[in-house]
Amino acid sequence: MPQPASAPIEDGVFDVLKNVSRRPIEPSLNSDLVADLGFDSLQILEVIAELEDRFDISIPLNDVPATRTVAQVVAQVTRLVEDRSKD
Amino acid sequence: MGLRTLPEALATGAEADAGYCFVTADGERRRSYADLQQAARRTAGSFQAAGLRRGDLVGLVLPDPEQFLTTLFGASIAGLIPASIYPPSMTSDLPRYFELTAAILRASGARAVVTSRALAASFEDARPQCPALSMILCADDLDGPDTELDRRPSSSDIAFVQFTSGSTSSPKGVALTHANVSANIDAFLGPSAVAASSADTGVSWLPLNHDMGLVGMALGALYTGRTCVLLPPETFVRRPVEWLRAITRHRATVSFAPNFAYDLCVRRVKDLDGLDLSSWRIAGCGAEPIHPPTLAAFAEKFGPVGFRDTSFLPCYGLAEHVLAATFPPRGRRPRTERVSAEALTGQRVAVPHDGKGASVALVSCGSALPGHRLKIVGEDGRSVGERHVGEILLAGPSVMLGYYQQDALTAQTIRDGWLHTGDLGYLSGGELFVCGRAKDLIIVNGRKYHPQDLEWAVDALGGVRRGRVVAFGATERGQADRVVIVVEPSGTVSSDLLVDTIRREIRDLFGLYVDEIAIVRSGTVGRTTSGKVQRAATKARYESGDLGIRE
Repeated sequence: MPQPASAPIEDGVFDVLKNVSRRPIEPSLNSDLVADLGFDSLQILEVIAELEDRFDISIPLNDVPATRTVAQVVAQVTRLVEDRSKD
Repeated sequence: MGLRTLPEALATGAEADAGYCFVTADGERRRSYADLQQAARRTAGSFQAAGLRRGDLVGLVLPDPEQFLTTLFGASIAGLIPASIYPPSMTSDLPRYFELTAAILRASGARAVVTSRALAASFEDARPQCPALSMILCADDLDGPDTELDRRPSSSDIAFVQFTSGSTSSPKGVALTHANVSANIDAFLGPSAVAASSADTGVSWLPLNHDMGLVGMALGALYTGRTCVLLPPETFVRRPVEWLRAITRHRATVSFAPNFAYDLCVRRVKDLDGLDLSSWRIAGCGAEPIHPPTLAAFAEKFGPVGFRDTSFLPCYGLAEHVLAATFPPRGRRPRTERVSAEALTGQRVAVPHDGKGASVALVSCGSALPGHRLKIVGEDGRSVGERHVGEILLAGPSVMLGYYQQDALTAQTIRDGWLHTGDLGYLSGGELFVCGRAKDLIIVNGRKYHPQDLEWAVDALGGVRRGRVVAFGATERGQADRVVIVVEPSGTVSSDLLVDTIRREIRDLFGLYVDEIAIVRSGTVGRTTSGKVQRAATKARYESGDLGIRE
């Protein structure tokens, strides 16, 4: 379950997903990016770029194939944001 | 200019002071065409040492552009037939990807596959499904001794095969001869089209397993002894501004891309600082339907940093015609027409829009390249007059040899020397306006999908009434097709589960998202007397909201 502290991140991720999708979508934490939300590989790269800009993080491309659900995206962004604030 | 094979073009290119510049995460790496020729010869030596013989087909599954080009030329020097096959994308379901790729290798009788070290192990697993496949080679290892091979291909030999659409039942590879490739490059880079000179520099982020990336940018540059800067496609998609920065940095003059790339720049590039696009004299646009408002928005946004809308070169072409078929005159603004949407699809005539009803804006793609012919024919096969919509037919030296080892399909597509493109268009003032597709192709992000392939895949699923599946693309002007699948259920599976299963199946097999799955009452999907599904009729009923959708 998401921690309360991650709520702004969660909202930000939802926002990015809705902006990048060219169709109306209602993402939930359980949504699969490809199967449920219809993102193709191009749009997933767009999502990554938008998340990097918004949260000032760098998402390693190696992790992308394993990331399938919105919850995984939120968890990864949360971790990268925390790592960043440690530096 | 003049007819030349891939190895001959490489030899000529090696004498020029030019080459490829590969943009990587660590910076730029230049490889002169002379260096490329050396590396390709060593690759050819390795192929020979491995026992591959003249005419053997080798599949190239290589995401790295330098490895791809070196292997392509190496195979050609060794007298082999290189076949480009899409590498898996980030979202590919790998087991299904390898199943599909194994089907391509099996159907084409490939003797070897050349791939990256990371993918090689998975191909080892696919080996039992491909009886003819005797070797899985890593591009890294193809570094044999430099050899003076005497297996020079002739101009009528196959230069390469490009596998375009995926379906396990009938993989389709476009086979082009050296004469095809040479003729098309000479025509589209010649004085009446791009008018390339040694002063030109190209920039491209297009994948090399796509005709526009391989022939339009990489080979086009080599054949005319010019430098071409190649960016990885992922770099462009993540940061579209990197394309424009590369053009700025290299004072590039020629760059081609599909419509969606210009759109991505309009939507995603925020920081114009440091950009200077004033050197960009040919901004080619093709490979998918061209949306005039996208071009206008791009010109408006990047005008302040030197982009000129007279640089746009909207063009028409397809892999079966090597790449390019028509070009407009250089140096003018895109010529657009606004016509009545109703007359276009109804009476199949392009009538200038009079302000009433829906309209469509279309852009001229110019006229046939020199030495090539084009005609528009109606359903009876006869040429139609100006402004009448019909199928676009092409003839001349760029028409492919055929689909590799698919004689029946080739005979259907090329008749009496005319390539039946499956695209619809009309002529106005002698210029071509492309306005749809006769073959019901579904196009998403520049990739073409055959509805029948989708229908067959769904037909094989549990819970579906056999032979009662229709797939089509619902077109909204200027946007990607919405993929729609209409099915009659057999009643053994709940509708929710069926929708979910179909979506996942199509995603896994084709990497394609189905926008809408309509579960309809029995008898909704009609059949023709010959037993084929009535795709057009079902689509028309869907669009008019007249399908019996089950609640």
